[in-house]
Amino acid sequence: MPVGEHAGEVTSWEGPESGAPIGVPLVDLLDRVLATGVVVSGDLVLAIAEVPLVRISLNALLSSVNERVAAPWGNGGPL
Amino acid sequence: MKHTDSGSAAAPESGQADATYVFAVCGRGCDPAALAGLSGQAAGTPVRLLPFGSLEAVVQDVPARAFGEETLRERLSDRAELEQCARAHHAVIAAAADTAPTLPLPLATLYRGDERARAALRADEGRFLAVLERIADRVEWGIKVYAGRRRPSTPAPPHQASRPRTPGGRESRAVGSASRPGHAYLERVRGARDEREQRQEAGLAAADAVDRALRKVAVAGRRLRSHDPALNPEHGVQLLNAAYLVDQERAAELMGAIEQLRRSPEHRGIELEVTGPWVPYSFVEGGDPVAGR
Repeated sequence: MPVGEHAGEVTSWEGPESGAPIGVPLVDLLDRVLATGVVVSGDLVLAIAEVPLVRISLNALLSSVNERVAAPWGNGGPL
Repeated sequence: MKHTDSGSAAAPESGQADATYVFAVCGRGCDPAALAGLSGQAAGTPVRLLPFGSLEAVVQDVPARAFGEETLRERLSDRAELEQCARAHHAVIAAAADTAPTLPLPLATLYRGDERARAALRADEGRFLAVLERIADRVEWGIKVYAGRRRPSTPAPPHQASRPRTPGGRESRAVGSASRPGHAYLERVRGARDEREQRQEAGLAAADAVDRALRKVAVAGRRLRSHDPALNPEHGVQLLNAAYLVDQERAAELMGAIEQLRRSPEHRGIELEVTGPWVPYSFVEGGDPVAGR
């Protein structure tokens, strides 16, 4: 049982060490349920992670600056 | 539990039948009772286990209409619906992971009925077994590093300090700026730019240092996409968005390492945010293994 005693904390998510707001943060959740995961072969009707489908909704939520680490400072933002 | 051949997959050709939504793959031993109360992605149908090969999938019958490509695209473009789907997906996975080693599948993995699901999953059984072994007794922690909003407590007024590392354009400033206002202006602009570059460099170096430090405790690490600063206006620039696969028993060690980083004077300018423990979503496909582990 890999998650064992921690699993309850995932759902309620208020571990004092996490410093996270109550409830799993949505953006972090989307990082995980959309951007990752195995792609299963076979008769797949739809696997979101591999289909442009996601980009529509995600553009509003997650902006990829993947591998362009310097990008956030394009506007000279605070550091 | 043996819902397999009846009902749900009865009329796949009609387009009106249910589809089989697969949440996750578990090693045998997932407790169906843990899934009993969950509403999953559809009202009224149970979240259940679908055995295949030596493993089980956590599945639910969902109305195919609500999950057709077009409909789904629309639903997931709506923030509230997207959130609802993502949280429902996560709730099932977290519940399953509570009782058995669990490998999460991406949101909206759908098959036309149990038999199709079973056949497809079975084809990947070997890979699933390998991943399950890799993530067993391990959890994922998310670490985000932000450039602090506050300036470091040794502020560098634009006129002094913090310049020695930047080449060019400095030598003359002490001499002529007072008497030549235009020149002084240019110097200030240049100074601000230099300072910003240095802060960028320092921020990236700090993020790398955090990453290196946490990989010492982790089995594997993975950098995720950075979030748009607009998502988190209360934070500064996100310097690092990473996930680490960590042995469950080393959680305290990880927290200790994080605490140490937070207290370290050289990282005074950054903020660390921790999320977790997560079911190892980010390590289903790999991540960079830490050398020697």
